[in-house]
Amino acid sequence: MTVSSNKEAFLNTIASKLGRERKTHVQRPVIQDLIPDSYGQLTNDDLVEILKEQCFFIHTQVIESNPEILQRTLDDLIEANGGGIVMTSGDSRFEGYGLAFPEAFVWEEAAGREANIKRAESANTAIIFADCALAESGTVVVESRPDQGRSLHFLPAHYIAVIERQRLVLRSTQAAAAFNRRIQAGEPVGSSINFISGPSNSADIEMKLVVGVHGPLRATYVLI
Amino acid sequence: MSLQTDKRDFSERTLDGLGDSFMRNAVGSAQDSLKTRRLSAATTLGDWEQWRNVGQLIRQHTLQNLDYYLEQLADNVEKQGGHVYFAATKEEASSYIRDVVVRKQATKVVKSKSMVTEEIELNRVLIEAGCELIETDLGEYILQMDDWDPPSHIVAPALHKDRRQIQRVFSEKLGYTGDETPENLAGFARTVLRQKFLEAEVGITGCNFAIANLGAINLVTNEGNGDLTAAIPKTHIAVMGMERIVPTLEEMEVLDNLLCRSAVGQKLTSYITVMGPSAAGETDGPEEFHLVVVDNGRSDILGSEFNEALQCIRCGACLNVCPIYRHIGGHAYGSIYPGPIGAVITPLLGGYDDYKELPFASSLCGACTDVCPVKIPLHEQLIMHRQNIVQQRRTGAGDRLQMKAASRLLSSPALFGRSLRFAHSASRLMSKRGRIVRGPALIHGWIHARDLKQPVKQQDSFRAWMEKRKGGAEQ
Repeated sequence: MTVSSNKEAFLNTIASKLGRERKTHVQRPVIQDLIPDSYGQLTNDDLVEILKEQCFFIHTQVIESNPEILQRTLDDLIEANGGGIVMTSGDSRFEGYGLAFPEAFVWEEAAGREANIKRAESANTAIIFADCALAESGTVVVESRPDQGRSLHFLPAHYIAVIERQRLVLRSTQAAAAFNRRIQAGEPVGSSINFISGPSNSADIEMKLVVGVHGPLRATYVLI
Repeated sequence: MSLQTDKRDFSERTLDGLGDSFMRNAVGSAQDSLKTRRLSAATTLGDWEQWRNVGQLIRQHTLQNLDYYLEQLADNVEKQGGHVYFAATKEEASSYIRDVVVRKQATKVVKSKSMVTEEIELNRVLIEAGCELIETDLGEYILQMDDWDPPSHIVAPALHKDRRQIQRVFSEKLGYTGDETPENLAGFARTVLRQKFLEAEVGITGCNFAIANLGAINLVTNEGNGDLTAAIPKTHIAVMGMERIVPTLEEMEVLDNLLCRSAVGQKLTSYITVMGPSAAGETDGPEEFHLVVVDNGRSDILGSEFNEALQCIRCGACLNVCPIYRHIGGHAYGSIYPGPIGAVITPLLGGYDDYKELPFASSLCGACTDVCPVKIPLHEQLIMHRQNIVQQRRTGAGDRLQMKAASRLLSSPALFGRSLRFAHSASRLMSKRGRIVRGPALIHGWIHARDLKQPVKQQDSFRAWMEKRKGGAEQ
């Protein structure tokens, strides 16, 4: 049996169990109007406060900085993490804000798979720019791209995400709707969309929370 | 491991659970903590009941149009260069995955936690094919190192083990020399597993939800092992139960919020990832992506009286409120799916021959139904199972006789009243200090785990008291 005939038989079985022919068109229910809004109108400052409060609960440090002192803020954080190699994404905003690090790798397509993964594994700190951030859950959202691999967010021991204030939204509802608009418009999105809320953790041993199991041991958000 | 984790009689398994005081304390304390956290996380969403309504609407809509969304999903995965395989049975699913692994000449495979891969006995199949297979979720890794001890909770599989047991396992199997603190045990596992991720040729994950219009899967984790499993090996195989699908990211977002809050009381878990085959120019992630869609009995549930069981999003909230699970623990269910949802879906997937006792492992208090974030009427489904089991005469002859006698007795007030008169004296030989301590059949089953007071003397009974009161009122 070929894979495609397997698919037809599989889907025909489902339709038959549902007591009808195969569906060729379906209208999605409109759920956006049904989702309760428990926050009301919020300003950007309100979102910052919600983010800071939530980050306390997810073991994530929030540092307020600004473009003028961003380099110094990041240098201080790298030092606080014990120095070592830094790996950044190839995001053009690093250049835009005039950021440079002495012992640094950049995730780049030209380096290829093995080298990028090896560099990320050897880095002590990863630094990325958030594509957007969700205040309610303390989440940064990042897409994979040729200049920003998937494992960059997981292999280095420390994770620093720079969040531009104007990219803060309330919650995942807004982020998901924005992605879906792009998908429906046929715009490309990264093959991996990561919603990252603080460092990795586990409560698998006696339900005791341990921070840093597979991914980063520590996460810091720098707000500018 | 398959759906069935223990072939012994249900009564033997429950006795084991009742006798394991560490497990009972651990389960009780986990239930209390998770219940509190779930309530707090649900409250922050505002109108939780409305969120549940939306969750139910999404799940029911998707199930009603499952063929359409699965076809859309497959088309979109294939457009991106991925492969989709539809497996009607567990054998088809695991042999397809084995063939991919063999074709890639892979000997090292990393896996992240996935219930459906347990269902299709994938670990056994790949190990028999000569692979070194490593479970990377910390809880699952502990169980694997302990000779594949079965999981006891959907979300926290090693809940039944204490830190000393884990230290012993790591020490005997992996040469661990550290102490028993969770931090050091987890740190040791991190070091060992980091190397496994880097060496693996194939990564296998489950799928919380597939997103039809994107052709991608969604993983919800806290440790990040699922992401590393999908990011580093050159081949990624994702396995999904056929019902675990949503139309778009918007529906996924609602369900992920319900899932995270119901499972562990977090607004979102540390890592929520939407992933598919790597795009052009991306240098990590899978060069080859396979999605295996598994039926394995699910289509028989579709459109049946148990259709709503397919709404399950595997949050485990029903376990965390269940008084039966609290006392007997996860292993007593003998299934990879324990607790109320396990008692509903295990007999559906595995049949009444092996699992006819599970629907009776419920107090029918309805707590599971009240917490279910997608509003599965769990206790009503348990009653439907019981009706089926009785109608199919799958209960023992002794049970049927006792139920017939009880039915006769309880449906006749006069007969019931007369038998109460003799209850105290009739139970004297079976009682000690006001409690029945031995007895046949139903009584024997009841007093295994619960107290049964000796019936009071006729003159002290409620009926006698009521008669006196009635007399007083009339005067």
